[in-house]
Amino acid sequence: MPHEVIMPALGMAQDTGLIVSWFRSPGDAVKSGDALFEVETDKATMEVEAPADGYLTDVQADAGAEVPVGNVIALISDTAEDSGTLTKAAPADTPSEPPAEAPAQGTTLPEGAEVIMPALGMAQDTGLIVAWHKSPGDAVASGDMLFEVETDKSTMEVEAGHDGFVAALLAEAGEEAPVGDVIAIISTDKPGAPVQRSIAEAASPKAAAPRPARDGDAKPASADKAPAPANAAAPPEPAPGAKPRADGRILASPKARRLALEQGLDLGRLVEAGHPQPYHAEDIEVLKALPSEASQSTTAVSRRLTADLPHDGVAAFKAWASETAGLEDENALLAGLAAASLGRDSAMVAVESFGARRGYTVPAGPLGAITATDEDIVPDLILRDLRLSRITSVSLGAEDAPVLTLTPAGDGLSITLECASHHLTATEAVSLLSEFAGRMEHPLRHLL
Amino acid sequence: MAKTKTNTEDYMRMYRQMVRIRTFEDNANQLYLSAKMPGLTHMYSGEEAVAVGICEALTTDDKITSTHRGHGHCVAKGAEFKEMFCELLGKKEGYCRGKGGSMHIADQSNGNLGANAIVGGSMGIATGSAFTSKLLGKDDVTVCFFGDGATAQGLLYEVMNMAALWKLPVIYACENNGYSEYTRTEEIAAGSITARAEAFGIEAHQVDGQDVLAVNELTQKLVARARKGEGPFFMELMTYRYHGHHVGDINREYYRSKDEEKDWKENKDPIIKFRSWLVEQGIAGEDEIEAMNAEVKKDAEEAVAYAEAAPYPDQSEVDMHVYTDIEHALERDTA
Amino acid sequence: MRDITLSQAVNEALAEEMRRDETVFIIGEDVAEAGTPFKVLSGLVEEFGTERVVDTPIAEPGFMGLAVGAALTGTRPVVDLMFGDFIYLIMDQLCNQAAKAYYMSGGKLNVPLVLRTNLGATRRSAAQHSQSLHALVAHIPGLKVAMPSSAYEAKGLMKTAIRDDNPVVIFEDKLMYNDNAPVPEEEFLIPFGEANIKREGSDITLIGNSSMVQVCETAAEILAKEGIEAEVIDPRTIVPLDEAAILKSAKKTSRVIVVDEGHQSFGITGEIASRINEKAFYHLDAPALRMGAMDVPVPFSPALEDITVPTPETVAENARKLMSREMIHAA
Repeated sequence: MPHEVIMPALGMAQDTGLIVSWFRSPGDAVKSGDALFEVETDKATMEVEAPADGYLTDVQADAGAEVPVGNVIALISDTAEDSGTLTKAAPADTPSEPPAEAPAQGTTLPEGAEVIMPALGMAQDTGLIVAWHKSPGDAVASGDMLFEVETDKSTMEVEAGHDGFVAALLAEAGEEAPVGDVIAIISTDKPGAPVQRSIAEAASPKAAAPRPARDGDAKPASADKAPAPANAAAPPEPAPGAKPRADGRILASPKARRLALEQGLDLGRLVEAGHPQPYHAEDIEVLKALPSEASQSTTAVSRRLTADLPHDGVAAFKAWASETAGLEDENALLAGLAAASLGRDSAMVAVESFGARRGYTVPAGPLGAITATDEDIVPDLILRDLRLSRITSVSLGAEDAPVLTLTPAGDGLSITLECASHHLTATEAVSLLSEFAGRMEHPLRHLL
Repeated sequence: MAKTKTNTEDYMRMYRQMVRIRTFEDNANQLYLSAKMPGLTHMYSGEEAVAVGICEALTTDDKITSTHRGHGHCVAKGAEFKEMFCELLGKKEGYCRGKGGSMHIADQSNGNLGANAIVGGSMGIATGSAFTSKLLGKDDVTVCFFGDGATAQGLLYEVMNMAALWKLPVIYACENNGYSEYTRTEEIAAGSITARAEAFGIEAHQVDGQDVLAVNELTQKLVARARKGEGPFFMELMTYRYHGHHVGDINREYYRSKDEEKDWKENKDPIIKFRSWLVEQGIAGEDEIEAMNAEVKKDAEEAVAYAEAAPYPDQSEVDMHVYTDIEHALERDTA
Repeated sequence: MRDITLSQAVNEALAEEMRRDETVFIIGEDVAEAGTPFKVLSGLVEEFGTERVVDTPIAEPGFMGLAVGAALTGTRPVVDLMFGDFIYLIMDQLCNQAAKAYYMSGGKLNVPLVLRTNLGATRRSAAQHSQSLHALVAHIPGLKVAMPSSAYEAKGLMKTAIRDDNPVVIFEDKLMYNDNAPVPEEEFLIPFGEANIKREGSDITLIGNSSMVQVCETAAEILAKEGIEAEVIDPRTIVPLDEAAILKSAKKTSRVIVVDEGHQSFGITGEIASRINEKAFYHLDAPALRMGAMDVPVPFSPALEDITVPTPETVAENARKLMSREMIHAA
């Protein structure tokens, strides 16, 4: 049974080790305890001993290679021949892993041995460079003090670790460098133009574009669409005979909301009735005692807008969608056009046609991503398709969500938007209807 | 060397136990270096004669408390390689079902009340164990292992005071390996270590911790006297740790020289010293010793292989063993 | 049934359990002949001797650590910590050793230990002898925490604690040692994790621990005169916590105030209110309110000290606010 020679983990937070040199060649006889190779980490250089007696075979990484900790880099076998049992371990060669300080501002760093900010403490992320003991271009010997570093625990002088010349200093005294980052380069030959810069200079302005904030995702579960009362942080004084809040929200306790939902009651009607907020469970009784819905629907706070289109672009759009994208469900297309008109990333739309109601989940993105659901949804928008009916005009009053009704009008069609004042402000209602009418007339134009 | 004992079996067992500790640590170190072991560990290598000399003077009923550098105590008190390696690798079959790891191995079946990751944290426990013995009229003795660094903890003085007042059967065994983490003991301990115990009227001894026979002989005497109610006692065992404070402490030149390490390893190694004594005295031949070494090495390799292949605990165990009477602690309060 | 003081109740519980089990012993400062500064343990040393009622030097970490070791090896120590404020001194032994031994050993070692200590301000003892620190230990998995609110609970919970195989911390209210309450003469135990409904009500739930149970009961009497029916719940142990009883009451009344003598921030009140919020949200008609001790060290001057803890009046006042349309943001 051959013994594996493994790249050892020497430091506390070390991922790779650099093979400085091999002391033995493949095929050499070795004894347990013989120094096999020298490895360098962020912390130190160390000789690694053979784990067993035998012959060094199957060497997988040459001097100069950086190998992940735990990788098998050779075998100690009973015979001098390579067993071939190891598939060439992929050493993380230095060039394949660019140093953390990628050349910034077009500066190319000189070639040479990298000096790394060492991990000195147990939970240390950075080290403060107190002072450099060498300047760019200086000759250095391996044992020379190159710089002084301070951590939360201690201050320590760090040796150059290589003979040569200081070809680059990549951090200034007083700067903190992340552990493992290259902070200097020592070249074999005297550098022509040694580099000196600070970490601050090197930090390239490559900050990723801020991700667009997702909103419209968090939908309140309650039917009246008001958000949870968490925003009561700075609530207005509960004025008697209160007016609706400017933001359209209704302040109500979780219990009051649940009761309203369970009993199919609209807390918005308490607002309309001028009942002071916040609402508690007992206010549900007040709500139930309010005059019936019918007499309420004519109140000024209900919104009704209509738009007339000379022609209906949907039929052509449907044919195009079917042909180019294999989308057959006209209702899904309508849901997508309606949701897009809401100006949100995603929405739930209920489409009613021929007396049947179906829910659609409309995510951001292509129309093909729209999915129908048989579950009872709480829609953001209801779309009622009456184009094939004889009804030409509707005034049905507000429902749980804004309703867009399509009715025939000669060659074209008429669109009616009805909603309660707390669903949409007047401006929002106008915007929704204008957007939707535009899409219904020229679906493709809006799509492109 | 201390005076000759006549029982060959005892000598060979002591030698074997020391080799088992060294072999265990070599394998544990290898597991760490090859990134196969989670976390880190503190090596006992170099201090084997302390754990073995003391534990060989104890019965299974006698108790010990151990430290973060505790593998040696655990092996010396009778633990098995398999369960130890499983614990080191966080496996279900470990001594603590993978919940303790290197720094918390406990093996109560052999009287090991557990390693402790708080320096000096087990001094109260050891003293309390001796208190139980006295209260319930039992004759077991407890040995409290701790390092020179732990002598800086106040708890030691509180419990030595009570142990002396109440004549408890406890032996405080200070393993002075010369370093308190990364600091020379002279820099953290003023005055004499043994004088600390003597201030409470506790009889204190300093002994060569690399001489297993000397340690064993002294412990036997003190244990016998502690059983008769003459305790407590204090031992300062002069020893040396070959590795750093922990396995990741490889760059040690700022606190101790390589020459110093070399001198201890080559000239004061407890195993080499005892081995040559065994041969000299004609107690064992080189062949016999080599065979024993090989057998221990094979045992360890098999245990490592076993542990590597052994299963991890099921994730459902995460909230088990929080309370004795609540199987899954997180389900207790759930309405 | 006869009336005895809380102090007598604790004394009886200890004596009964020490007679029942010879591995039970008491250890702490001045527990033997002195019987503690509150004289709770008077008479025990005469019956059980100094071997089992053990006076220690003033060395809290030392005797706590010793007790942990004793518990690990076959005894059931009852550690007497003279003041709850000294819990800071024994934190390593309690939280790093006792609380974790069972878990770290994978179930092989356990620590059947009782730590008896106290809580409560308004005894004019100032900042280092008046704290109520039960939240500190309730935060640590592996410890159980009992909070007796009268002589009856003090006896029943102590006997259960001594028989428990886990470390249990019992906080007695040091102002209640001389309070009388009916306690059965026959043996009884109170199981952990079972709340006691001290008073039934339909309008609002008042949850109180230890010293605050009486405060809640008095507040409920005040409110009853105004037509508000308050339900008063005493969880009796906060670890384990009878979440089911708490949630049931919260759902029933829709309004809750949690009252506790520990500091309000990051404490027991926040924990209980939060669980109600998470698990009974849609039944709440008002925010679950926290009422703890002021987030200040306990002052010495009576003029200052008395306003740092909840009183029946302040609890009733907050209850009225919750019952009204008024919006409450902070107590």
